Amino acid sequence: MKAVGARLPRYDGVAHVTGRTTFVDDVRVPGTLWVKALRSPAHNADIKRLDTSKAEAMEGVHAIITWQDVPLLEYGHLSALGIPADEPLLAKDEVRYKGQPIAVVAAEDETKAQLAVEAIELDLEEKPALFDVRKAFDSDAPVVHQWGNWYTHFEDEMDRRQIRKGSIQEAFDKADVIVQGVYRPAAIEHVPLETQVCQVVPEADGRLTIYSCTQALYFSMGVVAAHLQVPLNRLKFVGGTVGGGFGGKVDTATETMCSLLALKSGKPIKWRWTREEEFLCSSTRAPWHMEIADAVTKDGWILGRKMLTLHDSGAYSRFSPYGLTKHSFHHTGAYTIPNLEFDGYVVYTNRVPTTAMRGFGVTSVSFAVETHMNRIAKELGLDPFEIRLKNANRIGDTSPNGIVYTDPSTVPTILAVADELGHELPADYRTMSSEKREGELLPEHLVGQLGNPEDH
Amino acid sequence: MRLTVNGIERGIESAPLTPLLYVLREELGITSPKAGCQQGGCGACTVLVDGEARRACLLAVAAVDGAEITTVEGLGAPEALSAIQTAFHEHYAAQCGFCTSGMLIAAHAYLEHGGSGERESIQETLSGHVCRCTGYVKIIDAVAAAAGGEITSRQKWLPQTGEESPVEVPGAPA
Repeated sequence: MKAVGARLPRYDGVAHVTGRTTFVDDVRVPGTLWVKALRSPAHNADIKRLDTSKAEAMEGVHAIITWQDVPLLEYGHLSALGIPADEPLLAKDEVRYKGQPIAVVAAEDETKAQLAVEAIELDLEEKPALFDVRKAFDSDAPVVHQWGNWYTHFEDEMDRRQIRKGSIQEAFDKADVIVQGVYRPAAIEHVPLETQVCQVVPEADGRLTIYSCTQALYFSMGVVAAHLQVPLNRLKFVGGTVGGGFGGKVDTATETMCSLLALKSGKPIKWRWTREEEFLCSSTRAPWHMEIADAVTKDGWILGRKMLTLHDSGAYSRFSPYGLTKHSFHHTGAYTIPNLEFDGYVVYTNRVPTTAMRGFGVTSVSFAVETHMNRIAKELGLDPFEIRLKNANRIGDTSPNGIVYTDPSTVPTILAVADELGHELPADYRTMSSEKREGELLPEHLVGQLGNPEDH
Repeated sequence: MRLTVNGIERGIESAPLTPLLYVLREELGITSPKAGCQQGGCGACTVLVDGEARRACLLAVAAVDGAEITTVEGLGAPEALSAIQTAFHEHYAAQCGFCTSGMLIAAHAYLEHGGSGERESIQETLSGHVCRCTGYVKIIDAVAAAAGGEITSRQKWLPQTGEESPVEVPGAPA
């Protein structure tokens, strides 16, 4: 245990400071072809005609792939967990977001590839687009996804992530005050300094060597193998060096298309996104819409919470059902509320598909919950630290999904924050710990609600 | 055209308007300058041109014909790190490593030009360099340490060069 608590040199530190770390863009393979993509210029449109013949005849162009070249066109990022696929690798009959890839070209250099992209003939018929999750449920809203405007494949084919705990009606009947708030954090682009990049080398034995900037190497390997319909042993992934990811390199963005181009051309392939592509076409953190209504007593106990969440998934599902599930488990934050009614929807829009980013699904709800705690304190005229300490998770409390807490850290964390800020607290708050509730910290609404950590 | 790159004179075959970044990376195989944005916005491609920190992605090679170019490879090798490389390593200023080359070159030029080590002057020097991992505090600390300035990171730094590490870490300096 001598390393615990010690500060160690980074194992890759010297390589980084001497410029010797080999990122994907630094791999050198002679004879490599460069890739450019034809991307949708429209937010929502039917594809009426797609003709690559002129582009294919251009000098220096070695291969072009469209949806017709993909052995398994639709494979969902969560297919392995039984969540159905909804997104084609390359657009087939329609495009659902601006920047969606329709065709990719491999040519001798980036300029030739780009000229070929511009020579591909594409006719689109634009359709009304949907950008606001709040309008997705309106009867006159455009329907933008094959399943409707929200995901319908949670367990037992439920169309929402739902949590019911205790009696929300009783909590609201007993409340002195109902405190409501709406919270809408915006989309965030990850902006890794290294844009999406991939190098694929077709080997003499028929295998592919794939240099990938993925954050999730074996996951990406499964995605590529599924689309290509080949066994995993045909793919050799080289990864582990990521020039910034933050969740944005969990989606498999380039590897599959580069692999198909390598197989079709028989040549090494490289695709490095421009900064503009990274901003406009890569996935982002989702925008969220969260509505909270809390049943509160005048001395600051939270008896119950009703919450509605609309998670903007963008044009396709990707990881959103998983992100929303994590979100739902955390919708009481670091606090114990025994009566809950939570409904969360994964809503489709014509935005770029959204994905993981640092605390996937949880940062949004933490922002909402913590802001709401301050709002409750303000409306009741109470100290925001005291209201947090009172409702803080303690040993024996249970989470929204029924987990009994055995080592919650809310109380010491809030006390540490108070210390750092020099915030004065009364003695009975100052001496609080994570110990199981009793006395005044076991109010009527929590009697009979505590679990036994020994059973956990 | 000719360039002296990290002390070695090289003939250049690329077309005159080729960005210096491509000449270094694609023709000469020197990959420490990175193509982060290719429009002068992120600083990851920064190299020394006759001692001045410049964006290699915005410079046509013809415009620097005959110049002396220094990249991170020319600052110091793993067994003989320069002061700024040592400071970056010891202060965890490199996280993913992608912006690090440009940061190091800018910081090296700052030190060479007699930078004071005051945080404001370091911030000004690095203001055109984007890092998405560190939040900059550790980078500024590293430059301040190399310039003899004040370190503000609340994390206690250990071990310094020469101190014994509690466990063996591959790649760590002896």
